[in-house]
Amino acid sequence: MPSPNTPPTLEEFRVRAAQTGLTLTSEDIEHLHKGYVGLLSLMERIPSGWAWAAEPPLVFRADK
Amino acid sequence: MTDLTLLGIAEAGRLMARGEITSTQLTEAFLKRIEAVDHKIASYITVSADVARAAARQADTEMKGGVRRGPMHGIPIALKDIYETAGIKTTGHSHFKKDYVPAIDAETVRRLKDAGAVILGKLGTHEFANGAMTPDQPFPAVRNPWNTKYQPGGSSSGSGAAIAAQLCMGAMGSDTGGSIRNPAGFCATAGIKPTYGLVSRCGVFPLSFSMDTAGPMAWTTEDCALMLDVLAGYDPNDQGSAKTDKVDYGAAAHRPIKGMRIALARHWYEGEDSVTPEMKKGIDEAVRVLKDLGAIVEDVVFPSLRDYHIAGRVIITTEAHAVHRQDVIDSPEKFGYTTLRRFQLGAFISAEQYLSALRFRRQLTLDTRAAMRGYDLIMAANQWGDPEIFEEPQAVFHFMGKPQLPMPFNITGQPVTTINCGFSSAGLPLAFQLAGRAFDEASAIAVGAAYERATPWRAKRPSL
Repeated sequence: MPSPNTPPTLEEFRVRAAQTGLTLTSEDIEHLHKGYVGLLSLMERIPSGWAWAAEPPLVFRADK
Repeated sequence: MTDLTLLGIAEAGRLMARGEITSTQLTEAFLKRIEAVDHKIASYITVSADVARAAARQADTEMKGGVRRGPMHGIPIALKDIYETAGIKTTGHSHFKKDYVPAIDAETVRRLKDAGAVILGKLGTHEFANGAMTPDQPFPAVRNPWNTKYQPGGSSSGSGAAIAAQLCMGAMGSDTGGSIRNPAGFCATAGIKPTYGLVSRCGVFPLSFSMDTAGPMAWTTEDCALMLDVLAGYDPNDQGSAKTDKVDYGAAAHRPIKGMRIALARHWYEGEDSVTPEMKKGIDEAVRVLKDLGAIVEDVVFPSLRDYHIAGRVIITTEAHAVHRQDVIDSPEKFGYTTLRRFQLGAFISAEQYLSALRFRRQLTLDTRAAMRGYDLIMAANQWGDPEIFEEPQAVFHFMGKPQLPMPFNITGQPVTTINCGFSSAGLPLAFQLAGRAFDEASAIAVGAAYERATPWRAKRPSL
């Protein structure tokens, strides 16, 4: 199974685009593909393998 | 008589309390100047002159009768056009809302009105506080009053531009990834992004509900503090609102700063990515001034700026998509091109990617707190250099450029002020940030105000 950070090909991205519920032209998808691949490369900085079972309550409080 | 539009909130309040000027005189001076110069920078979308005049008359009547509501009584201010205002259009700078007239005020607007503030009108922004200043918007893009060939920064663009151009005494902005601090820095005003949860967002158009903050902008840090005195406080209608003790922020602006410890995050702006030499010089000089005032400033290493940047971008992109998803599906043609693309992109982020970014945010918050141990404040550059040129289109996927200097404090939720520290050789503003611990706006206000009193920058204004 590919890593979640492996960039999708344009064809793979088209398949995903069809599942988003958005109305997108070929041009839209090509542009969004570039943006997504750029975002994905930056996301390599985000650690993977979190201990999900230990996830704290999803309420963001600056003082907690 | 002095040009009334040059007065600060604190000074104007003192003059009104002594009966030396009236709110009506002050309000008329601003309305006259808006009429004369705002066409050069397009900071206002709506000028609510009649509403302002009525509020000013009421303030004068009350003050004449000995009723003094506080430092904002009779003070003319304006609002970023994502704050709902009863009976006044609230457009979000978008075709979607261009004729929308809310029935009730945002909680912050209600508080400002209760304190006697006079609402001059509504100010330009990036579409729904996220898009860019593009020609496909229903209202003109705001220009920078220091040089109209440049952008004012965003998304609280009109707020920064109007304050600097003496078109209001203070304004409300909002900050999700730097939207108060960008225009404050590029327009040479002060601005406070409060701690997440300190100021209500009820009635403010959302962008990213776990990152959005509402906050004041004004010419000086002390004036921002006086606005914050009115704005801060629990609101049961905002799910992120915190119950906190009352703080006198106006008084904090006059606290001594001797012995205060400041952690300088120099590696954020002089490392992998660097500020311009003039910005570096301006911040080095600001450090010297703060040391002369008795503060202790030391270099401290924090997590990488790029870590905060990507965590913030994933969270904002995902949440903004969720907020605007139905309109993106139903009426994509109504969005500006850049706004639409940014809102569409969130549809491709998986649940795991979003949750990992939330976990990373928590980790970065803990790591930042640990690195800050023993210090009262964090200091860093506010912007990389000069603002973007007006005619150059902004990048659609702006996250692929340099990381954003304001983002660390959106990630951690800490309070942060923007302080002007001079001007480049091109006459464009330089600025730094001061961030306090959660709910310690007072320390950042104390140091920012002390710096402003010790330096000449607040005496310089743009000429329009």
